[in-house]
Amino acid sequence: MARVKHPDDHCANQDVLSAYLDGELRPGELDEVVAHLTDCLDCVAEFHRIKEMRAALRTLPDLELPERLLPSAHPGPELSALLDGELATIEQEIVLLHLGECDACRSEFHELDAARTAIRSLPGLEPPEFLMTRRDAARARHRSRWRVVTAAAAGMAAAVAIAVGVFGGPPPTSPIDVSQFSDQHNARASLEPGFGVIPVFLSQGEAP
Amino acid sequence: MAEELVPTWEDVARRYGRKIYNFAYRLTGNPDDAADLVQDVLLRVRKGLAAYTPGSFDGWLWRITRNAFLDGVRRRQRRPTSPLPEDERNLALASPSPDEVLASVRLSEDIQSALLKVPLDFRECVVLCDIVGLTYEEIAEAVEAPVGTVRSRIHRGRRMLRELLTWPV
Repeated sequence: MARVKHPDDHCANQDVLSAYLDGELRPGELDEVVAHLTDCLDCVAEFHRIKEMRAALRTLPDLELPERLLPSAHPGPELSALLDGELATIEQEIVLLHLGECDACRSEFHELDAARTAIRSLPGLEPPEFLMTRRDAARARHRSRWRVVTAAAAGMAAAVAIAVGVFGGPPPTSPIDVSQFSDQHNARASLEPGFGVIPVFLSQGEAP
Repeated sequence: MAEELVPTWEDVARRYGRKIYNFAYRLTGNPDDAADLVQDVLLRVRKGLAAYTPGSFDGWLWRITRNAFLDGVRRRQRRPTSPLPEDERNLALASPSPDEVLASVRLSEDIQSALLKVPLDFRECVVLCDIVGLTYEEIAEAVEAPVGTVRSRIHRGRRMLRELLTWPV
């Protein structure tokens, strides 16, 4: 099958064909191009091929911008990823900017942080004794005795606190104290540089 | 008065986000990279808006977009990943007629894979012209090259595409 002869083989300046097609010719070029196209069949054929290619390119679907990419879109799953330091730098910056402006997301962020902290503060359980070596079991029993003593002391302290509350102590506070999480973040930021940006708005507490 | 002409971050995202996304998608062939680029551009726009003086906003925006894209290309070259073959059936299409969609998906997949084989300098000029719809002068401003160079790249880029689609390598 014969290969189509490349137009550059005999016509030096083919760029004008695209410019002609796009209405981008310089002043004075139009007459020259039209005159050339009446004489040169190769360039006419090339012009039609380029025109078809341009038409095909323009049929490519116009894709919708995913809604989540708008600055006003609420982050959702990215909030947990932010807490865990798992967002890429650009995404983290965008989520933080959003949090600085969105009360609802800031409040959700605090709730997620509280839940995460609560989960992480659950005590580690000892495996059943039959799964442990003798030495591990002895250690576990020792720890368990201390736990009983500590629990008894805590019980005493709680009884005292209840007594103080009943007989005119301060009213009970909300189980979730936002400032507490702010303090935790400040403490964490001092140890983990990745969290350094988070306390800025957490400590402000209010929308700007 | 001049301040009124400077759009907000959200305005830019709503007015240009879709074009930036299409530009990025056609250049990378990957929806994740396209989304990353949109976020990067919007962040740069937000930072740049404070110092922006009203003028050729499109030229300014597309220069930022192109620089963000090139930075992304450099980052990916440092940690290369194998791009997944894109499936436009999963993406939002503008024309929902089933037959048209089926035909255009096949055609657009061929064009997209051919586009990715065209060298970047030519590809970006073709995409800015035929996908984004900029004039040669606006493209010249965005890619920081003379208009004559842009004209040549658009023509040669289209011709490379046609050859890739006509004579598969």
